[in-house]
Amino acid sequence: MHLAELLASSFRMAIPILLTALGAVYSERSGVVNIGLEGMMIVGSFWGALGSYFYGPYVGFLVAMLAGIVLAIIHAIASVTFKVDQIVSGVALNILAYGSSRFMSQAIFKMATTTPHVAGLVKINIPGADSVPYLKPLLTGISPIIIITILLVPISEFIINRTVFGLRLRAVGENPLAADTLGVNVFRMKYAGVLISGMLAGLAGAYLAMEHTGMYVEGMTQGKGYIALAAMIFGNWTPSGALMASLLFGFAESLSFRVVENSFIPYQFIKMIPYMLTLIVLAGFVRKSTPPAADGVPYERNAG
Amino acid sequence: MINAVEVKNITKRFPGVTANDRINLEIKRGEIHAIVGENGAGKSTLMKILSGLYQPDEGEIYIFGKKAVISSPVKAIEMKIGMVHQHFMLIPRFTVLENIILGSEIRAGISIDNKKAKKIVEDLCSMYNFSINLDSRVENISIGQAQRVEILKVLFRGADILVLDEPTAVLAPQEVKELFLNLRRLKQEGKTIVFISHKLDEVLDIADRITVLRRGRVVGSAVPGEITKEQLARMMVGKPVLIDLKKRETDPGEVLLSVKNLRVKDPGGKSVLNGISFEVKGGEIFGIAGIEGNGQKELAEAIIGLVNIDSGSIKIRNIDIKGLSVNQIRKMKVAYIPEDRHKNGLVLPMKVWENEIMGFQRDDKFYKKPLLKLKSAQDFTRSKIREYSISVSSINQAVEDLSGGNQQKVILARELSENPDVIIASQPTRGLDIGATEFVHEQLLKKRDEGKAILLISADLEEVLALSDRVGVMYNGSIIAEFKPGEITLEDVGIYMLGGPEKKVSGE
Amino acid sequence: MNNRFKIILLRLLSPIFAIFLAALISSLVIVFIHQNPLKVFVTMFSFSFRRIDSIAIILYNATPLIFSGLAVSVGFRMNLFNIGVEGQYLMGAFLAALVGFSIKGLPAFIHLPLTILSAIVAGALWSFLPIYLKVKKGVHEVISTIMLNYISFSVIHYFIADLLMDKSQKMLNGLGSPLVRMPKLMPTALMPRMREFLNMFGFNIPKHVYLNWFFPLGILLAIGIYYMLMRTPFGFELRAVGHNPDAARTSGIKPEKVYFMGFILSGAIAGLVGLSDLLGYFGYMDLDFPRNYGFNGIAVALMGQNSPIGIILSAILFGFLNRGAEGVQTFLNVPMDTVIILQALMIISIVIITKVMNDYIKRMEKREVSKNASGRTAGVQL
Repeated sequence: MHLAELLASSFRMAIPILLTALGAVYSERSGVVNIGLEGMMIVGSFWGALGSYFYGPYVGFLVAMLAGIVLAIIHAIASVTFKVDQIVSGVALNILAYGSSRFMSQAIFKMATTTPHVAGLVKINIPGADSVPYLKPLLTGISPIIIITILLVPISEFIINRTVFGLRLRAVGENPLAADTLGVNVFRMKYAGVLISGMLAGLAGAYLAMEHTGMYVEGMTQGKGYIALAAMIFGNWTPSGALMASLLFGFAESLSFRVVENSFIPYQFIKMIPYMLTLIVLAGFVRKSTPPAADGVPYERNAG
Repeated sequence: MINAVEVKNITKRFPGVTANDRINLEIKRGEIHAIVGENGAGKSTLMKILSGLYQPDEGEIYIFGKKAVISSPVKAIEMKIGMVHQHFMLIPRFTVLENIILGSEIRAGISIDNKKAKKIVEDLCSMYNFSINLDSRVENISIGQAQRVEILKVLFRGADILVLDEPTAVLAPQEVKELFLNLRRLKQEGKTIVFISHKLDEVLDIADRITVLRRGRVVGSAVPGEITKEQLARMMVGKPVLIDLKKRETDPGEVLLSVKNLRVKDPGGKSVLNGISFEVKGGEIFGIAGIEGNGQKELAEAIIGLVNIDSGSIKIRNIDIKGLSVNQIRKMKVAYIPEDRHKNGLVLPMKVWENEIMGFQRDDKFYKKPLLKLKSAQDFTRSKIREYSISVSSINQAVEDLSGGNQQKVILARELSENPDVIIASQPTRGLDIGATEFVHEQLLKKRDEGKAILLISADLEEVLALSDRVGVMYNGSIIAEFKPGEITLEDVGIYMLGGPEKKVSGE
Repeated sequence: MNNRFKIILLRLLSPIFAIFLAALISSLVIVFIHQNPLKVFVTMFSFSFRRIDSIAIILYNATPLIFSGLAVSVGFRMNLFNIGVEGQYLMGAFLAALVGFSIKGLPAFIHLPLTILSAIVAGALWSFLPIYLKVKKGVHEVISTIMLNYISFSVIHYFIADLLMDKSQKMLNGLGSPLVRMPKLMPTALMPRMREFLNMFGFNIPKHVYLNWFFPLGILLAIGIYYMLMRTPFGFELRAVGHNPDAARTSGIKPEKVYFMGFILSGAIAGLVGLSDLLGYFGYMDLDFPRNYGFNGIAVALMGQNSPIGIILSAILFGFLNRGAEGVQTFLNVPMDTVIILQALMIISIVIITKVMNDYIKRMEKREVSKNASGRTAGVQL
């Protein structure tokens, strides 16, 4: 197996995790824990496939992001407006995403668990890549989503650290009461954080369905939403940290695919690698990272 | 000349309480106006109305002569009212500059123009003689500096009226002096200052005029120099206050609590107690004075077994408690009244009787395998409610629905029920009204007279001096002075609280 | 006292409101596929309560949900979220299946309890790692248990499909391929059905109804858990730690110890979830062993507001929904997945409604308190 191939595959595997982890950064920096990312990925993958099936890939991605946003709005209404337990709300969304995707798939395609094959975006080839033998897998057949995702890392760093929006987002996640007294609209910022996370998770789901597999398959997210959360924690709630962590997880996953091809170890155990890695990473690093001070705490104006 | 603030017939009701009852107030432009009253007199409510956090039920407010509806904190700022909260509204992980500009950022496109913002804040600092490093994180600065950040925040927003809610509560006497210098400087520049406090000496020092609140009403106003402290105190409380508690002479007995060279590190490895030594004998109250955050909390928690001892020893009746669990230490007749009763003292959603037996649920008194003795627990609670006259509607009421005073009584009743030999009382009267405070003081003195050893930790210097037989001042994890009340002046205590020259005053 | 009554009424009403709200929203989904929601709900009821055997099927459906609801609720009481019930019960069922088929020659009164015990042990063991990671390393139990769910799927897949697959299956006429399943359990390990017992009281339960003694066992367990929580020192400590671990620690309780024991108890209960299906119906474990009971248990615990009686009732409700959905799918061709949507919507509506009601109740109680103590409370700091 070529190293370049493994790298290219790690990269592709990292993209959905990274996109979702970036979303998680926005949501958690605003103080909202979003366990519902998994569900947002699921609806993204189903609606992305649906949109692409009927109207082509561009519409597919748009519809997927919209689907993620719709779920995010429910999460925001429940956990920001009504201040219910953010984890309970997130878990309910995951169930909703699972059930509604099955339902819609059954209703529209008469199959509960898959859609027909759908088109993805036109792939990009770096000119002249054919002449570089070793780097060919890295430089050809690149989905535009990969490029967008990579660009989103520095963009997110800039937004979170340098803009007014970012300062306020962070303030709301650290001390919402202080932000409120200074005229920052706490609820709007939290909604923004959650909605961005829904949009990116939806996009990540669509990437899985359209760019990676070419169709929607039930359970195709395989817990990547949760892994993305772990990646965000591992990356210490920063976009660039999330990039590094996602690459690690992407590598683990692509490794597991490669090993399956020729190995004595039962493939079920190989399949566990990303989940084991998540546990190990969290066990080793979670104490060393610092979440936003008011992460997961609903903001009640008259609580003081 | 028009008034900066004019409040007419403001009334604010909460369920069952009229927090502000037809309040009238005039604050002149350019004056320092103090509003005094005891805890719960309605000062905070009035301030929250002025800063837009609460809406009044009745009445009108005029700001610089114009009728104003202050519907939110943002509206307040637009009307040039800036609030400096008692509990700082700062973000520890942000820099000083970020804290100051948040919400009123200076933009350059979509990003923040840090340079320009910094320039403006630096100009403010030099104008009002504030010295502070704008790039340090707030988590690394002192309390006095944090307060300056709060003041800068409102100045940056162009406030002309500054409302300071109990600004000296957390400061050492010397820091108070510095604050007062800043305030006078602000006044010179034409700012109007509303100063809320219950500390009469300070009010008489800084204010141009004083308004007194009691039970939600304005009961009078005064000008310093025309009124004595005693008169002001009477106005505030409605009856003469007993500043001096009657203490019986006792002969201290044997040493019940002894702490030697105690060192404790925080979870980050930073040293928080640097070799503390003291002894408390039976029949004695040993008071610990000092600005909060100098290791008092860790000291109390080390004695009860909540934090690990790094080196040194703690002995209860001459038995070393190193390595013992909280439960084991408590069984050695040690009682603990924690400083934060909501966080450590009570389980708020649980019932009164459940809180009353918390920690004793496995004692024979309340437990016969495999079940709790419900009846014993409830009878016990009923008797404690009578003994301590705790006001509850039922023993099944959630303890969170009780008033602060009654909650503290639930803790006292529980902690003192096993007739402890050593009592650690940490900020035992914080946030209580005068009645409840007196009750707590009486109970502690009663236990002292019964021959118990009491360690009293309080940020309220007056309380420490009034109750204690001996006082130690804690600074930066050490006891840097020990004396008997009356031996040294308040100013000297203040010097020690700020880390003054280390010397033993007491003649032991 | 009038208020007391009102408060109790509100507490009882909130699940009913939640059901209506969720039904209303899912009606939109049903309308989307051009069906009449009213007709769907009517069909659900008429199909479910048509005959006595249908009611018995509902109770059979409810049985695993009682166990999973209880398991989740024990976690909730400590303010921990055991989302790993899913993996814990699969591991429990797996070990029970192993003990059930591999040990031969035991009498039923030993073999059956042993099989049940092994399920409990497996569930408890599978909950050990997440609570260890939580207490010692600060890893949030939600993430770790979800990861362990995925790991358990793989582990079980390996054992069923590779290591322990029943190779002795006889092909009908030598055709087709063998089922991917473990060997069948010994009859001594199976749980008897309640059919004969109920027939004695004149309830004629047909043979195809698998309602078994795990149902009354579940109810007994619910009562036991109630006593444990409300009447024993451990339950007392568990609730105290759940509400305020700092105060509990200050009073001498060790929260870590309580978390450990409580979470492992939750896992042990979770181990029982799959047994009604395994020992009362299938008699073997295969790759299609029922899934999602763990997630449904979250809905059951929330709808039942963590009270054992509430959990029994809401488990029966979900049993009914599943039964009704079968009818709706058969007669109206509406996908059964409507029930999953309904469940998710119920979780969200119940938590929102409970929150709103509790805030309202709090306000009401505060008013009552201040009325009782008027005069003295003039000085309350607000």
